[in-house]
Amino acid sequence: MSVHMSASRRAGTWLLSTGVLILVGIMLLPVAFMVAMSFKTGAEMAADPLGLPGGIFFGNYENALSKMTYVRSVLNSIGVTLSVAVLVSFIGALAAYPLARRTSRLSRALVLIVALGLSTPNFVTITPIYVIFRQIGLLDTYLGLILAFTALNLPLAVFFYTSFIRSIPAELDEAARLDNCSDFQIFWYIIRPLLGPATATLSLFVMLMVWNDFTYPLLLLTDESKFTVMISVYRFIGNHTISPEDLFPAAVLGSLPLLLLFLFFQRRIVAGVTAGAVK
Amino acid sequence: MQRFAKYKIYLFVLPAVIVLGAFFIYPILLTAKLSFTDFTGVGVANDVGWKNYERIFTRSRYVDALKVTLFFTLIVVVIQTASGLFFASLLNRLHSIRNLCRAALFLPAMMSFVIVGYVWQFIYSPFNGGLNALLAGIGLESLQNNWIGDPDTALFALAFAHIWMFVGYTTAIFLAGYAGIPQELDEAARIEGTSAWQRFRHIEIPLLAPSFTINIVLSTIGTLKTFELPFIMTRGGPDGATRTLSLHIIDSLFGKYKFGFASALSIVMLILVIVVAYAQNRILRSREEQL
Repeated sequence: MSVHMSASRRAGTWLLSTGVLILVGIMLLPVAFMVAMSFKTGAEMAADPLGLPGGIFFGNYENALSKMTYVRSVLNSIGVTLSVAVLVSFIGALAAYPLARRTSRLSRALVLIVALGLSTPNFVTITPIYVIFRQIGLLDTYLGLILAFTALNLPLAVFFYTSFIRSIPAELDEAARLDNCSDFQIFWYIIRPLLGPATATLSLFVMLMVWNDFTYPLLLLTDESKFTVMISVYRFIGNHTISPEDLFPAAVLGSLPLLLLFLFFQRRIVAGVTAGAVK
Repeated sequence: MQRFAKYKIYLFVLPAVIVLGAFFIYPILLTAKLSFTDFTGVGVANDVGWKNYERIFTRSRYVDALKVTLFFTLIVVVIQTASGLFFASLLNRLHSIRNLCRAALFLPAMMSFVIVGYVWQFIYSPFNGGLNALLAGIGLESLQNNWIGDPDTALFALAFAHIWMFVGYTTAIFLAGYAGIPQELDEAARIEGTSAWQRFRHIEIPLLAPSFTINIVLSTIGTLKTFELPFIMTRGGPDGATRTLSLHIIDSLFGKYKFGFASALSIVMLILVIVVAYAQNRILRSREEQL
């Protein structure tokens, strides 16, 4: 009887797994569609949008790469992303240390500002940032873009590091203090080396956010040589009559770096982003 | 000297205070100040009192934008949370495919709104777009539609693209919640002969309450500021059906150079986000404690 039950239960599980796999497969169709379309000739796209490409046709990519300033914009995005990640993790961890170790009116006020920053949409500060940047000459500069992104991501970093440092035993600090270490030495030699996992997760967030963001570079940059990948994709595809020969290779090229990264580190990325949200 | 040393540690927060002060707090205050002026981006800003706010709440196009934004958020939050729970509750039982499916569902969240917008715009397009071709392929020509050109379907079409992007995120958070449910509880209920539905309804749902809070608050904050999808896919059309608050902000700013008015819209958005997020947090957290 019980053998029979478990056999039917196993069959049920198998059926359910197949059903869920089909559903998940359907959810991935738009990505497959994007990749398949990018390798089709214009005639194939029009005649049979859903079919697999007859052969692998690189013409769309050749055209996109020659007109998109792709390599330059990828380098811009990488440079901006790395700078923001370094700034955000250093400034964030530094600020989080006293917030995690002391409770005073000052640290409570700072925590409140950070909480406000966490939920404030960037649209609220976009008008004044544009005005301020124009006044002090940061418009259309890498530095301006990096500072804007740093400010946007800093609240998350402070919040994240504060809860992480709280989980580090304060006895470590005390022991170092007995050895006459200054606060900064304690932070630099005791706390900072332990922050690796938090920094890795945070950098993931920053990378996703900065690579994919569209509004800040759209509003703050005008010089084509400084464009990030998403602005370069947007400018190339255009907004009036959209040609699929331009759209699909540009979409693949724009997503490729993060999709490749995801392919190799998917476990860590999903776990990190989930942990970041739950914290 | 001792007292001073005690506070010296707060020098650590100085860089963060400077960056947040200059590029977050000061801009918010400046937005508030500009919102009471007719500033056009150049020249002087004249004080106009509450006129910008009056305009937002009396002109139907801005009231409509508020409604569109709230309705869009409602559709996305409800459907995304429900679908995430659906996938997580199944995957939690299916150990062999759980990690594979979680990663697969998460993949679209790696893509930019810009690219998702363009790809879905093409999928929805009435001329040999993917969706209509698919419907024709399975003999459902009668369901073909100009998805983002029809005011009745445009907002739902955008919401679907948004949900497609983030359902993996919601699923992953629910799965993390499931991992925290003690296995014995489920076993005990199973021995007592409860059905799978009863266990889901009376054990899993209450224990997932913290995951509900995180998912609902996160997706609400993320959706209230929706900009890229309508900007890329519809430009707010057809007939204002997808014109969100953030689209109006960018349009007032760089289309019409009404910096003062855009600031007033920004303040309305800030208050909206804070009120909604705070209320949700209060309600959901008190619900967590009741359960």
